[in-house]
Formats: sequence, C-alpha cells, structure tokens
Amino acid sequence: MELVLAFLCLLSFISLVLSVPGHHHGDNSTHHHDYCVLGAGPAGLQMGYFLSRSQRDYIILERNAGPGSFFQKYPRHRKLISINKIYTGRQNKEFNLRHDWNSLLSDRPDLLFQRVSRDLYPEADTYPLYLSMFESELGLKVKYRTDVGRIRASDLAGNKSYILTDQHGTDYKCRVLLVSTGLWVPEQVDFVGSDLVEGYESVSTDPEEYKDQAVLILGKGNSAFETAQSILGRASRIHLYSPSPVRLAWQTHYVGDLRAVNNELLDTYQLKSLDGLVEGGLEDIAIVHRKEQFYLTLSELLDGHDGNKGANITAENLPGYHDDNFSLRQPYDRVIRCLGFRFNFTIFDGLARLPHSTCARGRLPAVTAWYEGRGTSNLFILGTAAHSRDYRTSAGGFIHGFRYTVRAVHKVLEQRYHNNAWPATRLSTSQLLSWILKRVNEASGPYQMFGVLGDIILLQGAHCEYLEEFPVQALPHFSALSGRRISEHGLLVVVMQYGLNHTNTLGPGRAESEWTKAWKSNFLHPVIYYYPTLPTEKDMRQRPVGWPLPRPNAVHHMVEDFLTEWDQPISHSQPLRRFLEYCLKTDLRAFYAESCFRLSLTNHKPPLFCRQGYLNKEGFVGNSHLWQHAREAGLMPAHQGSVIPADDGLFSEYLPHAGAAVTSTIDFDL
Amino acid sequence: MCGISAVALLLCFISAQCGSPDASRLVEHTAQSFRDAVLSGKTSFIYFGKHVNPAIKAFIEQLEMSAHALEDYGIVVGKVNCSKDSVEKYCTGEEVMKKTYLFRGADVLRSFDIDTVFDVNAIVSHVLFSVLFTEVRYVHTPAELLAVERAAKGKMDIVMGHIQVLGLPEHRALMEAAFVYGAKYQFVQTTGAPLLKHLGVADPTSVQARLWFLHCRGVAHRSEPCPHTLMRKPLTTINIHTFLQLMEAPLLTEAAVDPDEVKVVYNHLNVPLLFLFTQSETLQLDRDTAESVARRLRGEVGVVLIHRDSHRVKTPLKHNAAYRLPQEEVRYFSLKKVEELIDLFREQLFQGTEEEEEEEEEEEEEEQDDRWSSLDVLDDEVAESVYRDRGVMLDTEAVTKLTAETFSAAVTQNGLMVVLFYVKWDAVCVAFLQSYVEVDDALDDVSGIELAYVDCGEWTVVCSDQNITSFPSVLLYRPSEVPQRYRGMLGTGSLHRFLLLSQVPSPTSLSSSAEVLSFLEGDLYNTNSALSPVRVLGLYSPADTDVVVFEEAAKSLRGETLLGLFVHEEAERWAEEHSVTLPALLVSRGPGILREAHSLHSSTPQELISYIQSTTLDPFGSNSCWTVSSRGLSRVCSSTTCFGALTAGHWRRGVSLPTRAPPAGRDHRPVAEENRRWPGAACRCGLRCRVGSPCALLRLPGCYGRRSAWVRGSAEP
Repeated sequence: MELVLAFLCLLSFISLVLSVPGHHHGDNSTHHHDYCVLGAGPAGLQMGYFLSRSQRDYIILERNAGPGSFFQKYPRHRKLISINKIYTGRQNKEFNLRHDWNSLLSDRPDLLFQRVSRDLYPEADTYPLYLSMFESELGLKVKYRTDVGRIRASDLAGNKSYILTDQHGTDYKCRVLLVSTGLWVPEQVDFVGSDLVEGYESVSTDPEEYKDQAVLILGKGNSAFETAQSILGRASRIHLYSPSPVRLAWQTHYVGDLRAVNNELLDTYQLKSLDGLVEGGLEDIAIVHRKEQFYLTLSELLDGHDGNKGANITAENLPGYHDDNFSLRQPYDRVIRCLGFRFNFTIFDGLARLPHSTCARGRLPAVTAWYEGRGTSNLFILGTAAHSRDYRTSAGGFIHGFRYTVRAVHKVLEQRYHNNAWPATRLSTSQLLSWILKRVNEASGPYQMFGVLGDIILLQGAHCEYLEEFPVQALPHFSALSGRRISEHGLLVVVMQYGLNHTNTLGPGRAESEWTKAWKSNFLHPVIYYYPTLPTEKDMRQRPVGWPLPRPNAVHHMVEDFLTEWDQPISHSQPLRRFLEYCLKTDLRAFYAESCFRLSLTNHKPPLFCRQGYLNKEGFVGNSHLWQHAREAGLMPAHQGSVIPADDGLFSEYLPHAGAAVTSTIDFDL
Repeated sequence: MCGISAVALLLCFISAQCGSPDASRLVEHTAQSFRDAVLSGKTSFIYFGKHVNPAIKAFIEQLEMSAHALEDYGIVVGKVNCSKDSVEKYCTGEEVMKKTYLFRGADVLRSFDIDTVFDVNAIVSHVLFSVLFTEVRYVHTPAELLAVERAAKGKMDIVMGHIQVLGLPEHRALMEAAFVYGAKYQFVQTTGAPLLKHLGVADPTSVQARLWFLHCRGVAHRSEPCPHTLMRKPLTTINIHTFLQLMEAPLLTEAAVDPDEVKVVYNHLNVPLLFLFTQSETLQLDRDTAESVARRLRGEVGVVLIHRDSHRVKTPLKHNAAYRLPQEEVRYFSLKKVEELIDLFREQLFQGTEEEEEEEEEEEEEEQDDRWSSLDVLDDEVAESVYRDRGVMLDTEAVTKLTAETFSAAVTQNGLMVVLFYVKWDAVCVAFLQSYVEVDDALDDVSGIELAYVDCGEWTVVCSDQNITSFPSVLLYRPSEVPQRYRGMLGTGSLHRFLLLSQVPSPTSLSSSAEVLSFLEGDLYNTNSALSPVRVLGLYSPADTDVVVFEEAAKSLRGETLLGLFVHEEAERWAEEHSVTLPALLVSRGPGILREAHSLHSSTPQELISYIQSTTLDPFGSNSCWTVSSRGLSRVCSSTTCFGALTAGHWRRGVSLPTRAPPAGRDHRPVAEENRRWPGAACRCGLRCRVGSPCALLRLPGCYGRRSAWVRGSAEP
C-alpha cells in the first residue's frame, strides 16, 4: 500500500483503538475498506470498474437487490430518452461513444449498451439489465440489500474517514467515501393544497384512466411532458404550469431541458388543440377542492383560511371571479406534480453533513471542482448528484457525462492516495498538432462534458505532456490533483464549447463556416486556451460570464464543423498550427528532408520538425512528384544547387549503381 | 528660381514634346560652321553622318525633335554631313556612322552610340545627364546614399530618382527636373536594387521608376536620418514639379473659414485638399493627428485644419472631415479612424473612381477578405503538396489495410509484417503513404515481407495498444518478437534498403573461420552488399556470457547494419590477428579495405548500440578534416572549421561529439555556431587540409558519393 494510504491507515487504526475497545478483526459488525461506493447505479458501477481495474480495496453498497433500481421505476412511461445510436458510419470506438449515451466506460469493447437494446430510445427495463451485465462481466464487488441509513465522519487531525451503518447495524469504515446515490427523493413544493396533488412517482401510467379528464401538470420538464404525452390521446385538456417557460434542449444544448422526443404537447398547444403552457410561481398558488374537481387559485384569495379544511370554497376564492379571462379558470380532474428529484441529504450526520448547492433550488449537494464534498474531505459525490458543477450547462448530471467525471475523480484518487500521477502521453512538440486533431476528432469525454472536462497540454519545449479530460474548473489546483508540474512554457487547455451568442437555432446565420470567424461559431467546437502560468482561484472566480475558463493569454476557436470533423488543411489544421506557433513561439511546419538540409545549413536553429525528424536521421523525404507541387507553390526553391537527390527521386536508378558506395543509412542524397 | 517661371518652362517642354516641330531646329553644320559653333563655347550635340539607311533616317527624325527640346536648355543640336564636309577626327571612313558627340566648347564631354540615344527621350535624358554630370550624383549602394545625405544634412534637401533603365521618359523627366531644380536640391540618381531595400521597398524587382524626397535640410543632428517622402504618381515632368512644389509648401495649413473658402498657397497645383475640423478643447490633439495624416499624405494631398470656434465656420457638427478634389465640390463625411482617411485617398480617390460611402465600406470589407484569403494559402510545403494532390486517389490496393479485427492475426503470421500507422489529417502521413506504396511495389518480388497500414483515425484502439504517439510510425512485426520501430529516414529508398537488410538475421551466427572470412569479404549475403558494404562482426570466446548483450544490440540494429557473431575458440586467433583482445568488434567496409578492430567494453546493449553506430560511421582521419564540397569548393582550413567540420559531421548524424582527443596544438572547440553552416559529413567530396593552408581536393572525380574510393590511412602526406 502506498505511503499516503498507509498513513491514513495508521491514523484510522489509532482512532479505532481509541474509540472501540477490543480488537477490530474480531468485531463482526465492522467492515473496513479503503473505498466505499454508495449506490450501485451507473455512477457507482462506473467507479467500481475503475477501482477494480486499479486493484483497490473497495465495496459498492446497494440497498436494493439489483443495480440501477431507479430505472426499474423511472422514467414512469418506460422510455429512455438517452440516445443509443448504434450506426455512426465509423469504427472508431472512442468516437462512437459520442453517440452512445448509455454505455459505461470499460476496456471491454463489447460491453456496450447496444448489446441489450437496438432502439434509439431504449426501453427503460433494459438499463438495469445492462448494469447487471456490466457488474457481473467485470466482476465488480457489490453488496446488495445493504441499506445505509446513517453516515458519520470521524475526523482525526483534519483527515476525515467515514462510518456507514446499514439496516442491520453493521458498520462500514471507509477511508474514502464515494457517494453515488443519485437523485431519487421527489421534489415537492409546499403550497396550500399540495396534498391534493398526485406525484409523478405514483401517478397512473394507464392513459385510459385519464379519459376525458382535464389535467393540470405542475412542471415543464421532461417528466411533465412525458406524462402529458402519454395521456395526450385521452385527456380532454392538459395544462402545464411552472414558474419558468419551457426550455428546449435543441435550443439550449442542455440535455436536461425538454427533449424533442417528449414535446408533442407543444404541437397541440401551438395548433390550439386544447392543451397549453402557463407560467406562474408555485409557492403562491393553492389547489382547492370544489365539487369533486380541483381549482387552481392563489393563496391570497383564500382570505387566510385553509381552503381545503373547514369553510367551503366560494366563487370569490377563485381567480376567475376577479379576472374573467384567467387562463386556468376551468376546473381540473387531476393535478399531477412533475417537479423532478432531489438528493437525499438526510443520511449524512454531524461532520459528514453535506452543504446544499446554491443552484437547482438546493436540490444538490455542493461540491468542489474535483467533486469532493465541500467541507467533507475524502467524500466525493459522483453521478447525477454531482451535477451542481454544471447544472443546466453540460452533461454532468447524465450517464453520458458523468461516466467521464467519474473517471476523472478516479484519477484524482489515484494521485492523492496512491501517488500515481495523472496519466499523460509524452509527445514530441512537432506531433502536437496532429495529436490535438486526433483528440478533437474522436475524444468523447470533452465532447460530452463540454466546457467541463478538457485536455491539458503541458508545454515543455521540445516535448509536451498530454493529459486527457481534466476538470478544467480545478485548474488552480492542477499540480496537487494531477501530480504533474507546469513548466515555464505554460499550458494549453482544449475544451469543446457551444457559442455564447444566442442565435436562432434554426434560423439563417446559425452556423459559421468561415474559419476566420471561428470565434463566432455557435455549435459545439473545439476551443484552445493558452496560459503561460496556471490560472488562480481568483482568476477562476472572476472569469467572464459563460466562460468555462478565465481569460487566457491567447485563445483559438476551431470553426464549428457541420460533420464535426476538424481535419481539413485550410480551415482547421493550418489556423490551429499558427495558433500553436504563436503560443510555442516556434515554427511547426513540416518540411521535406531537402528543405531541412537547406535550413540546417543556413540557420542556427532549424525548424522543430527538422530537429526532431531530419536531424535525428528520421527526416521525411517525399518524392519528386510532391516536391514538384511544393516548388510550383513557391514553398521550395526551384533548384537546390547541382546536387541531384540520389535516394528517393531516382530510386530505381540508384540501386544498380549502389555497388560499393554508401556506408551509412543516412541519406547522402542531399 | 521662381516656381511660376519653372512651370512655364516645364509646360513649354511638354508642348514642344507633344507638338510636331514645324520648323526644324536642327542645325546643318558645314565644316566651318561646326568650327565656329565649337569656338563659341556653347554646348552642342552633333551627329556626324554619311550614308543614310532607314535606321539612320529614323534617328535623324528623333534628333530633329530633340533639337527642339534641348534648345530650351541652351544646347544646340546639329549634324554634319561628312560626305559633303569632312571634319577631321569625327568624320571617319565608315560608310554608316553611328556616333554622336556632345561638345562643351571644343571639348568632347561624351560620345554616344546612336543605339544608346535611340529616341528623343533618350537623347534628352543622356545629354542632360552628361551636362549635369557634376550636379546629379549617381549612387548605387546605401552607403553611397548615406554619404550624400551626410553632406546635405542641414543644408539642402535631396531628390532621389530610381530609374530602371536609362533613356526612358522617366529618366528624361528626372533629368529635366534636375536641370530646373539642380541648384535648389541635391539630385541623386540610382538604378540599384540595394538602395530600394534601404528605403523600405519590399520587392525591388517589381518596382517601376520612383522618386523620393529626402528632407535633409531640416535635420539638425548628423546622427538623425533624413525623413523621406515617396512620390506616388508616375514620373512625369509635371508630376515631379507638383511634387517638389508641395514639398516646399507647409505641411499643415490652418484656417478659420468653411472648406469651400479655404485658400492655400499651393492652390494653383490642383491637388486634393483634406479638411479636418477642430475646436479649442482638442486643438493640440487634433493638430497632432492632422500633422501625422499630413505627413503620410504628403505630396498627394494638402491637409487643412479648420478651427470650428470661428463664427465663419458653418459646417454642421456631425461632420468632422471633408475633402475637395480639384475642380469639384467639397464633400463632407465623418471620420472614425485615421486609417480610413489614408485608404480613402490612396485606394479610392486616386483610383479615379469615386464611391459613395456605403460602397467604400463594402470595399473595405472586400479588402479585408483579400487579406484573409491570403491566409487561406497553405504555407507548409508538405501540407500544400498534399493538398494539391487532393483530387488524386492514391492507389493503395496492393498494401493491406488492417482493422482491429485483422490486426492481431496479421502481425503474428510468419515472415516480416511491416505496418504503417497513419492519420489522414497529417500531411506528412498522407505524403509518406505514397513512398510506402512505392516500397511495396519495389518489394513485390521479395517474399517474406508484407506491407500493411492502419488508419489510426478509425482504429484508435489498435494504435493506442501499440503505443503509437507519433504519426507516421512504421513498426516491424516478426512472429514472437517485440515489434521493432523503424527509425530511419521516411523515404522510399531508406525504407526499402532497411527492409531488405532486415531480412538478414541479426546477428548472423557464424560457425567457422571460413564463414567469418566470407562474411567480412561480403560473399555471404552478397545480394545485400549493394545495400550496405559495412559489416560488423562480434568476436566472443565461447565462455563469455556478455554475448547476450551483443545479441540484444544486434537485434535493435537489424536493418541498419549487417552484424555477424562468431562465438568460437578461433575467435581468439581473429582478435590476435587484428591486435585486439576479446571480446572484439571487427568492422569491414568491403573487400580489399583494411578492416578496423576494436576491443569491446560495453556492458549494456544501449552502450553497445551507440558504439557500433559510431564505429560504422565514415572514419575521419585524425589529422585531416574531411569537409563537404559539391562544387570543388576550396577553403582555407582553420582549426575551428577543421574541427567544426568534424564535429558538425557527427552532429548531423545525430551522434555525440567524438571522444577522440584533438591533435596537439589545435584548438578543439565544440561545434561553433558558424560551423553548423557547413556540416562536413554530407561528404560528397573529400577535402583535406592542414591548418592555415587551403583545403585540397583529395580526389575530385571519384568522390561523388563514393566513399570507398577515398584513400584511407594517414592523411597528411
């Protein structure tokens, strides 16, 4: 065991000795693990996979009998809206994950969701099926039917460890706690008559039960629309009511907003077919019961008395009495609450208590940029519950997003507790351009977790280190989290971003095709930031609104591409190369050996490509056909003196003469 | 000289030039009148002729025209008919006479061939240039110009004309101006490109005739350079005159009336005027701006600063600038950037087309587009040459395309599997694919080698499993062996040679002294002698366990060098013969060439690899330096160049500096920067030298790439 954990181990051992008299191995009701993962949903299993791959001491605790129990119930109408696109026309596994929103990450090429479903929008029952398959094929250690009801922290010299107690009173002592319990507590808003309202979690999914009924749905998210859509053919009138207007995912690029797959009601609303959307606050309303039907009214109209108890509701208590064209003046047969879910904060006790995030109406716990609970060190939040970092912007609350953040957290764990630095690919700087193009053309992590996970390139002169999928908000703590140092050459950050300008998503001018105006790109496109030194926490806080990163010393947008293929020489490659040349202050062009030879003779410092290739005996020769092109373009001098290249241009003639000539593999031909 | 009279004078030249001379001013001299003319002390230009052929006739017509033009400069043009009156010295015996003479008094200033003074412009320009010989300086280099500037600083301004060819109308215009203004300005004439560079012309070859005004009179300190203004109009007499007048006019005129009432001292010159408005609050700032604009537009546009505070200025506040073209109304506009102004005058008004403002903006945008479109041109030679081939489909049929499914089976099959890993967005990869296909073609009839490639853009897992971090990469797979990375030049020839040499097992185990001899003499594997005459033999005693180190090293060097291994009792005898101890290395460079022998001390394969690599390099005589020369370049050898050549040679080969000590008394410096300029080891030719003596070409005829033809051994005779 590595040093850090060994130390932690010692600490907790001491604490154990202090708190529990007797030998802990003899205590049947206490289990010890380096890592406890709470919840065997997609995030828990995903983390389980990484922990098992790095052979860590871990356990996944799950209160239900199988993985992914949420999906056994939700979505209520049993259609997953996460895209399961099997045919992409590509063979690139990494690229294909861009369009596979359900699979978890593993090194098994066939352990993909498409094995259980071929549907673009799969049946929800297939998801637990997939998770079981994932768990069993990878042999993950999951303890089912373990319902952890209480979590305490023990704090020794600022180092927290966690004690989990299950329904049998068994304790699990964990050095690191990874909470992946998801969001499953239905969100409720307290208003007069909220008890008269049915919840999404329990409402009937049989459309026949809604025959000729007027239905009021509170909420305008995917669950509200999903419910509405299922009863569209039976209900007489469906009204959706919530404070904010509908946000369409295809307009906001946020998959948590209303997806087109659920939005049939928009049609019936806009074509005036008796359905409709209304905006209004939830706190001030009241639902009252009058003559077997429900009315929506305002609490202030109830004159202080609680309408549903005691006194009868009169016409004056209803808004239609005061305002004769009030939209929701007609009574409803049902009122359904579809307001989403919240994190279960109740099981965290004392020092383990998690603070609420300020976003999402406090439904989510607050976490650091590396997903550690704020104030609860060694406790990390994974999966949907960690969505407060990118709520309403990126995909961190969804499987296709958090599978990557889980991987990032695992790399943080490896560094912090086992001193394994963040994996990096060491590249020759002359290969950097090609490598960046490779990543922007295939990488799925930065593509799904746009603006959140970005590739970091540590510039080190002739070489650089390429780190994948670092949580960019954590940049100020980069060295501590990754175990890698920033040299004086600075760093580049490659992220994917949508444009910040709000344009008509289907209107003219929605896409930019000129590379010179790449910064105006609206669709997802790669953006590269250059910092000579790491941004500080303050820089990060004060970054411009909507930016994933603080203002860099130089920034480069690669123009959005209709096909998301950023590999064209004029529009993508050359502008990027010029940007890199600017940041690295060196010429990054490629040269034929002939040119390298000339440049080596005439320059103190030949271009990098020549230094790393030609001068290393690995130059690129080309052939006369290509040279001809370069000469015609004026990029190569027409005559290189009287010396005739003997190697490649005159290849076939050369061999018969070779007699006793050449003694070295390096070309004499220049 | 008064400006007005100068105009009159110049205008009359022009009319003379344009109108056909009704009465010829050409004087027909007799022998007597010629003598009188010469004695009168006047300057005269005289043609002596006899026979008249069509060429002479045409010349005489031009001569007549020039008589008219040169009359104004007090130069009499005449001709002498030698067939009637023979004038001594000048009338020669030739039938067709092609000489003209310029006399000042009785002295001949210069004689011209009539091919030089072929027309009226040539005659006038050459004659005036000769007459003004002392006044117009002819300079060619920046240094000469600086000398003229130095002399003129604080005294007079300089007018410099760049004339590409003498005798053209531009030259005439410049000479006429020099004649008129010669007393006032120092005239300088140049035809040279170096000077243009000095004056900031980017591409001297494309430049037409030009004229600069160097403001030297106002320069107080010697160290300051003379600011200069370029005349942007064509070199004609009238343009030069206008330009010079404007140079005299104040840079900025200030007025307190509306633009249409403004009078400037150079009104008569008909130049466009630019009006800028100011008020007392921003006067100083506006004045600075106006001056800088005026400086930039000097010689083209007059700039007037109008004080708005005056009650006589009625221009509405929404306009902050106006301009007036000659004979046109004042146009008002509002100005945002100074650059717009410069553009307005340079790009639009002087192009002869007047645009409305909206169109101007459009044009600006277009111009911006032009600027961008130049960025659209690929400046990477490899990328560009690949891009030019984008319409051509490379025929890669013959080369196997591997996928994730076929890869592992392919690389474990028998024989040598060569795999190229490439990505299609990398130009070098795409270009190299051509060479790769060529190698495949060349190896068609060679069995046991198969070439394949993997597209890493598609089969990303295959490439990451093989740890490919640079593109293109070529890996060699043999059954049950670690893949070998090809580390040579990415070219058809190099890869072809490497693959052929790779077929030979490395090391080749030799079992008898006869085999050793055959290996060293190149008989064994003689088909490969063509590829590599160098053979390296490891000699080990059977008891030596270090032989694994050699085997390991040989494996890595497979394809680069032919390596043999002799583990045998008789190895001792071979070592003794070459006076080394076991383990030892024998290097053979071909039959009949003295073999080199080295005792081995390397303990790791890596050390041994670099040792073998350095011993197989071309040897450099310890007392001589072998330097590059492809054209028989002779060079005096200094100690640094000598060792520079040596070290740079190693440097070029990517090998560390030689460990051999430099010969006594010579300065062995590390590769001096300047020596990098001629890394010696390209060695087409052997030069050898002693310090301080010229490098001698050792053997010129045979030295082109024929290293083995050189005589090795002691270098200094």
